Amino acid sequence: MNQTTAEETVDVFGPDSMLRRLVNEARWSLAVARATVLEAAHPQIGMALIGNSTFVTHPWRRLRNTVVSTQRMLDPDRHVRGREAARLNRLHARISGTDPHGRRYDAMDAEARAWVVATLFESAVTMYRLSGESLDGPAMERLYAEFRTVLALIEGDSDRLPATLREFWDYYDDMIDHRLENTEAVRVILYRLFANVPAPPLLRGHPAVWAAGRAVAGPVAAAITIASLPESFCRRAALPDLPGARALMHGAYLATGLATRLLPDGWTHVGSFMSLLDPDHAGGSGPWQNVRRRADQAAALLRLLSPAPDEMDQVTRSADRFFAEVLDQTGDGYLAWPDLAAMAREVATRLDLGEQDEERLYDAYAAWWRELQTELDTDGDGRVTRREYAASAALLPGSGLIKIADVLFDVTDVDDDQMIDAQEYRTLFRTAFHRDLTGGGDGYSRSAFVRRFVSFMSGQQHSVAYDSLLS
Amino acid sequence: MDGNGRWAARRSLPRTAGHEAAEAAVIDTIEAARSAGIQWLSLYAFSTENWQRPAGEVDVLMRLVRRTIRKHAPALHARGVRCRFLGMADPRIPPPLAQDITDLTTLTSDNRRMTLTIAFDHGGRRDIVEAARSLIRAAVPAEQVTEATFARHLPYSDTPDVDLVIRTSGEQRISNFMLWQVAYAEWVFPRVLWPDFRATHLWECLDAYRRRQRRFGDVRRPAATTGEGVR
Repeated sequence: MNQTTAEETVDVFGPDSMLRRLVNEARWSLAVARATVLEAAHPQIGMALIGNSTFVTHPWRRLRNTVVSTQRMLDPDRHVRGREAARLNRLHARISGTDPHGRRYDAMDAEARAWVVATLFESAVTMYRLSGESLDGPAMERLYAEFRTVLALIEGDSDRLPATLREFWDYYDDMIDHRLENTEAVRVILYRLFANVPAPPLLRGHPAVWAAGRAVAGPVAAAITIASLPESFCRRAALPDLPGARALMHGAYLATGLATRLLPDGWTHVGSFMSLLDPDHAGGSGPWQNVRRRADQAAALLRLLSPAPDEMDQVTRSADRFFAEVLDQTGDGYLAWPDLAAMAREVATRLDLGEQDEERLYDAYAAWWRELQTELDTDGDGRVTRREYAASAALLPGSGLIKIADVLFDVTDVDDDQMIDAQEYRTLFRTAFHRDLTGGGDGYSRSAFVRRFVSFMSGQQHSVAYDSLLS
Repeated sequence: MDGNGRWAARRSLPRTAGHEAAEAAVIDTIEAARSAGIQWLSLYAFSTENWQRPAGEVDVLMRLVRRTIRKHAPALHARGVRCRFLGMADPRIPPPLAQDITDLTTLTSDNRRMTLTIAFDHGGRRDIVEAARSLIRAAVPAEQVTEATFARHLPYSDTPDVDLVIRTSGEQRISNFMLWQVAYAEWVFPRVLWPDFRATHLWECLDAYRRRQRRFGDVRRPAATTGEGVR
């Protein structure tokens, strides 16, 4: 197999790309969940995930961003692919540091990035195998070549992945046997993420329903994922082998395989599931739309029938909830730079910002972080605790927040008319502005926007729109 | 729905008691209109100008609307009534009420037996301005702007022209109510105060409407019944 490079024809994946078809199937999520565990077992990636990622606290947002990013990476248009690759590289370049044991990690590490692509390829192969439709030799070669192309698009070349499929399996077995560890990130995914995954936006109004479903589905998802991992890794990481787990895993994969083959395409399309999970997901009338509408109606009836909650409770959210849902993006219980970086990353991803705008946004968040550190970090441990924030957040000068709001306004106001109109608002918050509008009627002025942002971020005023952006 | 305050004053009760008494009239009217085969009914509950009332009264009104929605939502849904709210742009509307309104709209969105439009925080002029803005945003060329295209940019553009407006308590003003849609409407002004308005009053109004000859400027055109507004 020849080495693949980034500069090639317009559609490097070809019109009948296997990968493009695969990532649009809902069962791809099974493979991604499995691959994520194997990625997290890589020491470098595990450290980066624990230190920076929002996947435990905001898994649905992360899932959505991953789906969008993958689709952009596989876009037939070379410019879309190039732009996304550059964005991912900028994002990764900002993720580096030292773990509590003094070991360094860097998201730009070429070996680690190759491992991410390797796990996705191997998980795709495993998914096909377990779904009862094993890939034949040429198909597997083709899929491998497409994954190498993805790595080449991000990395510039695909040298870190073996050139041939035969060499790949040696590399893969070697990684599993000698390089992977039972990292904290693996344990967090298997035992914390699956057990505590917060409700998707669609079910946020029904915490009890979600908690009941999760109590069963969480352990099942963990068992299915563990049973699908390579045996030698499970042995070394001492992952439990529960009776019946393998049968359950085979059943789940077979069912998804059958569903993909037998149900109409639209039903098993990943976009349909995304729209089912996320009420704000743009995209009109999938086959699940009807199901969702019925679910919305049932939820509305349930809310109308249940006793009206105390109005004051709804208007004033407790400082604790605000800290946990908005400020502490990584879910480690502290406010630190990775939390603010995660906010900047979310906005940059959502608005698909160019390098310059992204730089301005990060700078503004950095300025706020310096302000927070100077004013609130009383014990000087480099992070702000919930107590420290609650004690004096309201006394902050707020210039850092105002700067962020200013930049946010600039990057959202794409037509530069000094107003955020309906379309721009929708792009930022993924919801129509309706009731959140303060006066005017046809948009947000800069001053109104800044005022609103600052009062939301300092925990003084609740806002449904900002909630959807950052929580 | 005029006359709540006067109804209360005649009984030496606070104005808010009049608003509370209005709930029965609302439910009775909806049921009577549905039985009479009316497919489009609009109620003017709260105008953009009503925000100028004393804060206490506005607060009570908001609570009352919320209570009424929660109390009657299942029955309205069971009777096949599609409920929707015209206006609803002011941030002063309490979030829990806005949530209940959204829920009622979602719950009943597939119903078609009757469409009940509640004009809430409504202003006819504002709707027209909204339509003009929407036209400009859609970059419709001036020569293509006709009455029909304009109407398509109004909120809830599927609402037909209003046939009959009933304004209770003897007041005879338009008060910024669905200005575009009432262009050819017949008006009746019963003297009864809104809290006392019942099915029989509605039938009387419908009877008066049927006896009128609607010509729309023509000389022979017959009358037709589609929409009705209660002011």
